[in-house]
Amino acid sequence: MAVALRFGSNFLKNNINYVQNICRITDSYTAQIQASRNFGTEVTVKAAPLAVKKQKVSQAMKAYLERARENDEFMKTQKLEYQIGKRHLANMMGEDPETFTQEDIDNAIEYLFPSGLFDKRARPLMKSPEEVFPARKAAEFDETGRPFHSMFYTGRPNFFKLLYDIVEEMNNLNDLEERMLRRGTRADPNQKVDFTGFQWLTKDQLEAILVEQINDLEYTNFTNAMDRLVSLPFSYKSRDFINKFAKPLLDQTKQLEIPKPQFDAEGRQFVTTYECLRKTARGDVTVRLPGTGKITINGQDITYFEELQSREQVLFPLIFAEMLGKVDIEANVEGGGPSGQAGAIRWGIAMSLRSFVDQEMVESMRLAGLLQRDYRRRERKKYGQEGARRKYTWKKR
Amino acid sequence: MLARHSLKLPRLTNMCASFCTATAEAAAEPLYNRPKLAPTDYRTGETNTDLHSKVHEAKFYTIAPEIKKQLFSGGGLPRQYEQQVKTFTETCLMVRPAGLELINYIRNTDFKRPAIRYVLYGDNGVGKTLIMAHALHYGLQNNFVLVHVPWVPNWMKRPKETANAAQEGFIDLPFDAAAWLVHFKTQNTNLLTKLQLKTSKDYVWSKREATPAGSTLLELVEHGIARIKFASETIAALLSELKQHASEDKCKVMVAIDGFNAFFHPETRVFGDHKQRITPDRITLTQPFLDITNYNWTNGVCILTVDKIGMTEGFMESYMPRYLLGKEGFEHLDPFVPVRVDNYSDKEFASCVQYYLDRNWIQKTPEGFDEQLKYLSNKNPYTLMQLTRSL
Repeated sequence: MAVALRFGSNFLKNNINYVQNICRITDSYTAQIQASRNFGTEVTVKAAPLAVKKQKVSQAMKAYLERARENDEFMKTQKLEYQIGKRHLANMMGEDPETFTQEDIDNAIEYLFPSGLFDKRARPLMKSPEEVFPARKAAEFDETGRPFHSMFYTGRPNFFKLLYDIVEEMNNLNDLEERMLRRGTRADPNQKVDFTGFQWLTKDQLEAILVEQINDLEYTNFTNAMDRLVSLPFSYKSRDFINKFAKPLLDQTKQLEIPKPQFDAEGRQFVTTYECLRKTARGDVTVRLPGTGKITINGQDITYFEELQSREQVLFPLIFAEMLGKVDIEANVEGGGPSGQAGAIRWGIAMSLRSFVDQEMVESMRLAGLLQRDYRRRERKKYGQEGARRKYTWKKR
Repeated sequence: MLARHSLKLPRLTNMCASFCTATAEAAAEPLYNRPKLAPTDYRTGETNTDLHSKVHEAKFYTIAPEIKKQLFSGGGLPRQYEQQVKTFTETCLMVRPAGLELINYIRNTDFKRPAIRYVLYGDNGVGKTLIMAHALHYGLQNNFVLVHVPWVPNWMKRPKETANAAQEGFIDLPFDAAAWLVHFKTQNTNLLTKLQLKTSKDYVWSKREATPAGSTLLELVEHGIARIKFASETIAALLSELKQHASEDKCKVMVAIDGFNAFFHPETRVFGDHKQRITPDRITLTQPFLDITNYNWTNGVCILTVDKIGMTEGFMESYMPRYLLGKEGFEHLDPFVPVRVDNYSDKEFASCVQYYLDRNWIQKTPEGFDEQLKYLSNKNPYTLMQLTRSL
């Protein structure tokens, strides 16, 4: 009974069914007795000869089939609505409905329903129903109510199967190691699985693969087991298995594409970075490679900034990349104050300099935070307070 | 940024060692792991400004303490430069190209002709005042009577005391006038005692006081200092006498006025009757100095600087003479020889950094510090001075 309870209240009424099924499997004799006792109609049906057996669809299966049918119907209508909606939208936007892609839909929605909401997930969207409604687990038991999976009663068959698989792999590797040792060969240290730059799938990703909810402890168990597997000397033999659950850490600098320098009339290389933003300042920065260190900001030299702090901000990427005096800088910047403008130019110079320095320097510039755009903005003043955070001086009365 | 760079280890140990050993030994040791210029590359022993030429460009020459005292005790060097001079225990001026140009013009002047006006102009902190100091030193060494006003805006912005002048509607600045007379006296006593210039007419100050014709100019000056009430009138008398003597070829006069544009500023901070701000031409000191910068005399040379910081807020957009002098001032000086003063060149900058290193003014020398300083200061002398304060 306790096992059956796991299926939730919907299934409670089927409990008797399960129990009796089990009874039937284990001891048909008992069933005979039960049948003869005439407790209920169902029981008598179950004990009936093969001819009537095809009616014996378990209640759970019936309920599941019903739900599956409902779901299919729901999805079908949703898909239809999505298709119609897509055509309407395409017509509204004056595009060809046949070639209207999901990207076009997103753009159209953003255009028609502009939203100031910060969280992207809270903004209006129109997506294919497969993406919007989560996938359901297929039936895990046959028509008679017998589970397919041997670990069905653990509640998370896929997850525990995965743990078993991991242990299986480990055992195989241990056996292999023993055999190899007997033969006098050792694991090849060159082929050892190098896990640096990789990480295990996150809990969410793992759950998506397993189609099961797992808790934190279980996830930790998974990562621990995988770590142990990787640490085995022959782990490279099951590299395929490991790769299924490992994903590479993103190397930011490899992801960002570095623009190729262009050539100006004088034959000098140059790169222009547009949209250099910081606070409310915005500008564009041009860096020219064989240069004498001339800095032009809105037509003036570096004295455009009277504060030293701002001048330092502008010079910092050049000093960091050791390009001071080797490149010419031209910047146009407007909006905001001196520090915002200096920050915008600093970012622009750093981004442009990527084209003129080696990959290693780009990586260290990234680590120094030079390529990171500063998204901080002024915080609003709150009523009842003196400023954004500061409260009025407290006075007793 | 410089301060934030950590020093490299060998240099650190080196510095520690230099602290431990005697200072003389430490100075002899190579303190910095960088090619050091020989002292002759940034210093020159040539103290005769008449001999300064292209060879001495961007080099520092030393002014003897007694000469410094004679020339600049009443002002003439910027205050912060004065402090640095005190710290360095020597007065060194760099031979700047603009200074050389100016001295070269003066050297080749035909003094039979009307006085030529030179106007030094340039952005803030480029060294206009120090180039004027260089020219003053030239004037002293070449027996010019120096008529030097260290900073005109002092009179217009921060007068020590105001009094109604004898002339109706005019304002006297008796203390400032007397202070200037003292300054004039310290600069020119030696020369005036040698020349023995006499007054050409009687000056009657009051019923009992008068300076008779034939008394020396020094007596005139001393009377002005003693009787502060008549200091302004004394200045007017003195300057007209000097003009006359120069025209008669008895002496050569060098007029050096710093912040000349203050004479043409739309208003001063001097209050007249009814607490009204008055214009500079209502101050009795203005007229004599405008007279002496006129071209109607010979054997003289006028060196004037126009300076943005001589103006007040709202009149500081540009450093160009036409803007700063205004129409009236420009027409008063026209024709004049403009001398543009620029920021340091690369050579001058290197020599200045070497001088600071030599004076142990810059003690932190991480890799590429001079490059950083160059770009941070934009090779502006004043900004460089400010930047190196903390190094």
